[in-house]
Amino acid sequence: MLTEILSAFQAVATWQNLLIMTAGIWGGVIVGAIPGMTGTMAVTLALPFTFYMAPVPSILLLVALYKGSTYGGSVSAILIKTPGTASAACTALDGYPLAQQGKAGKALNMALYSSVTGDFISNLSLIFLAAPLAILALRVGPPEYFMLMLFALSTVAGVSGNSLLLGVVSASLGLLLATAGEDLYGSFRFAFTDDMQAGLSVAPVLIGLFALPELIKLIVFRAANRDVAAKLGDQQVTRAEFMGSLKSILRGSGIGVIMGAIPGIGPSAAAFFSYGEAQRSSKNGENFGKGELEGIAASESANNGACGATMIPLLALGVPGDVITGVMLGAFMIQGLTPGPLLFQTNIHEVYMLFIGMLMSSVLLFGAGKMTMRMFSYVSHIPQTLLTPVVLLLCLFGIYSISSSMFDVTILLIMGVVGFLMFLMNIPAAPFLIAFILGPMIEENLRRALAISRGDPMVLLSSPITWIFAVLIVFVVGLTIRREISKSKTRKA
Amino acid sequence: MNFNINRGPLLRGVAIVVFFAFVALVLIPAYVPRPAFIPGFAPPPDMWPRTVSITGIVLGLVVIVGALTGRVAPQDPIDTDGGSSKTHLMRFAAVVLCFAGFIVLVPYIGFLLSTALLTGAAIYLAGERRHWILALAISLLGPVLLISFFSSVLGTQFPMGALTKPFGF
Amino acid sequence: MKKILSTLAIAATMTAGAAAADSGYPDRAITLVVPYGPGGASDLAGRALAESAKPFLGQPVTVINKPGAGGMNGARSVVESDADGYTVLLARVGMALTPAVNPQATVDWDAYTFLSALEATPMILAVKGDAPYNTVEELLTAIKDSNGAMSYAASGATAIDGFSTQALLSDAGLDPLTAATLVPYKGGGALATALLGGHVDFLAVSAGSLLPHVESGDMKALMVYAPARMSKLPDVPTAAELDYEQAGQVTGWSALYAPKDLPADVLAKWQDVLGQVATDETWLTLADRRGSISTVGTVDMSAYAQEQYELFNGLAKKFGYLPAE
Repeated sequence: MLTEILSAFQAVATWQNLLIMTAGIWGGVIVGAIPGMTGTMAVTLALPFTFYMAPVPSILLLVALYKGSTYGGSVSAILIKTPGTASAACTALDGYPLAQQGKAGKALNMALYSSVTGDFISNLSLIFLAAPLAILALRVGPPEYFMLMLFALSTVAGVSGNSLLLGVVSASLGLLLATAGEDLYGSFRFAFTDDMQAGLSVAPVLIGLFALPELIKLIVFRAANRDVAAKLGDQQVTRAEFMGSLKSILRGSGIGVIMGAIPGIGPSAAAFFSYGEAQRSSKNGENFGKGELEGIAASESANNGACGATMIPLLALGVPGDVITGVMLGAFMIQGLTPGPLLFQTNIHEVYMLFIGMLMSSVLLFGAGKMTMRMFSYVSHIPQTLLTPVVLLLCLFGIYSISSSMFDVTILLIMGVVGFLMFLMNIPAAPFLIAFILGPMIEENLRRALAISRGDPMVLLSSPITWIFAVLIVFVVGLTIRREISKSKTRKA
Repeated sequence: MNFNINRGPLLRGVAIVVFFAFVALVLIPAYVPRPAFIPGFAPPPDMWPRTVSITGIVLGLVVIVGALTGRVAPQDPIDTDGGSSKTHLMRFAAVVLCFAGFIVLVPYIGFLLSTALLTGAAIYLAGERRHWILALAISLLGPVLLISFFSSVLGTQFPMGALTKPFGF
Repeated sequence: MKKILSTLAIAATMTAGAAAADSGYPDRAITLVVPYGPGGASDLAGRALAESAKPFLGQPVTVINKPGAGGMNGARSVVESDADGYTVLLARVGMALTPAVNPQATVDWDAYTFLSALEATPMILAVKGDAPYNTVEELLTAIKDSNGAMSYAASGATAIDGFSTQALLSDAGLDPLTAATLVPYKGGGALATALLGGHVDFLAVSAGSLLPHVESGDMKALMVYAPARMSKLPDVPTAAELDYEQAGQVTGWSALYAPKDLPADVLAKWQDVLGQVATDETWLTLADRRGSISTVGTVDMSAYAQEQYELFNGLAKKFGYLPAE
């Protein structure tokens, strides 16, 4: 085994491979940081190039793009409140307030440290725990998914700000909006126009709801231009701060690994889940959403933790867990390799090469993050009155280019106005978005579960996994309501 | 009499109830068809939207009750330049007008010119007057750079305008 | 002078067909719309075509994914675009199937210029590796005995992989809608996972996402939906061999469509390009690895599309999705 690993190491550690991975990471970080351009886009764009490359470098390129873009999403989330990918939505909740306080560098550093840690732990789990995790993942059927996603939805309580009630209203709006378009049996819901038959995509809703209200707020209220000079020494994460968030980072990585390993869940849900957990258990829970480093740590460790882990079902079972691993499966097949249990017997050399390459790319991610940070930090020196219109411009181009659709651009602008109105009514936007992303998974799995059980609702409590989550849901909901009641009592007193 | 009623939160509650009731009573019956072929025991397409909108109505009622009994969550104060609500409303109307104008204009003058106009308008509305040369440069050169970037890297073809097509954009 | 010009003009018209490249088309990148999401079988086919056609066209081909509404979203964007040859569609069986079964479909099956067929993508009827059924006959008996309790995964009731199962059930004299329970999943990966995890009992979906699992023994292939046996599964019979009449006509395919009324020079250029793609090494290798069979230039596409439309329209009426006339 050792000789195999050594020979694989030699095969990977060529300067061509390092160059490919570095290019992938850098490309990913930049694409992820541009609003509207997503990791999926980066990976699909690179796919045709891999037709002409050797198998292992081509997969490593795609993995590097995936990792880079997942981290890159946090850069724009922090600096301009425009999550490049949905999985960075929670990062924006704490990162943007920090940037407004002049601590953008600190937030970016924390995002990088937790991303790299999550990524590294995720790679190790891929190498050592792939088989058991894959077996666990296969046991997750519709009832288990439903319970798991319902539990993830409880994060809504953590991102509701001042009013839990309005947070839940916001989540209901998100759940409702997500039902538009073709449902899983093929009937169209809320198809007012032909375009609506396809439903609303995540990117325009996400970016419209987060980034554009900032511009409208600036235009309508013209709040005094903030010119917070970045204080010296406030750009680094201190040892104490890192250690204080370490628990959230490790838990976030764990959540990322498990959620990533289950096909169909992916980094966004993992990041929400981890953020909600950290908010509930942290002693700084009250400060979440107002610029808490631990919030960034929880969200970023989980989304990068999920990245490597989405390779677990792909490599161990041959099933892609999300769109990006779907593209990777395509790349494998184009290369004449078939992921799955057989891969470990027939192509163990390539598998080791892949593992080693992935570990190396963690290191490269750290380097790329550090180097691009300087470049990106200048963004916070641009006056708001110029920066937010430029963000709008970037969003228009980015969103249009995803599927060449003016409908998406229209949705982007409408959601911007909706987001601003929600802000006026004190309805928080984050629960809307979380519900919008989790909603379809909850509904589809509920309907699947009931179809399999032929209408018997007890199917939702048919296995130990579902019991565990049912108990957790009851516990968390009870706790949240009790907290809310005591809060409203102190308020009234 | 004790006027402990906060008008804002009450209106908000009413708005929430009205919205979800509209969805549940008008939109769902009209726009969520129930195909006959889905077997009887499998939940139909309208089950989930209906559940969510009924939840929404209940939540809205709780908000109303909260407003009537004075249990209202504190709202963070909004930073403003001190202008009147009327000024704010005018500015908001201007934003909506610009957005709508953009969507209407794209088929006529193309994506490039429309984005340039919208960006310029946004910078102007945001109150930027000092760096006007920079503002002009951003709104004119920005779209040109982005179009060349996206069309060379991604091969995206941006919509051309009916009026500007002869000029190639 | 005038004479020279008119001679040139005549010469130009005479060679218009052969020298299509001289007309200047294409002088910029061509957009190929894939009406399904990235990573799927249709996306791979689209990207493979884009790569293979690029050198013959002399211009890059940009692939854009426009998923939604059973493929109608992407199809509609192509049909509504200018018929100048710069926007083309990677058509799938859905382009003929959706209008045949869904009255709400926004694009009819014949709203296009049919450029060419591209590939046939067989489908496989599979059960879990440790399932007690070894033939279609045994599976059908079990379905009959279960009284509707057995479940199958498909992309939707009126999707191609739903019809594959329903056509088989109908051929066996069972009620296609109630003899087994449909559990809808989205995408080839999710469908395969549902069977691997034992959450459904069987499925009949695109071969590309099942082949690896059949090869590893985690799934058993009982039957293929294809005109001929698959080279990778020589022992598995086709539906037609087993005398399942309707199931024997159900199969997956890709084709290249363009908006209606395409100019003659563009059409000629594409005929020329596709003729070269048909024998292109890259195209054939990539098709083989995807588990599909290249059919470029071997099928009369407009006749085939109509045939497919009528097949599914008939099945939809028979199964009760559409009111019978």
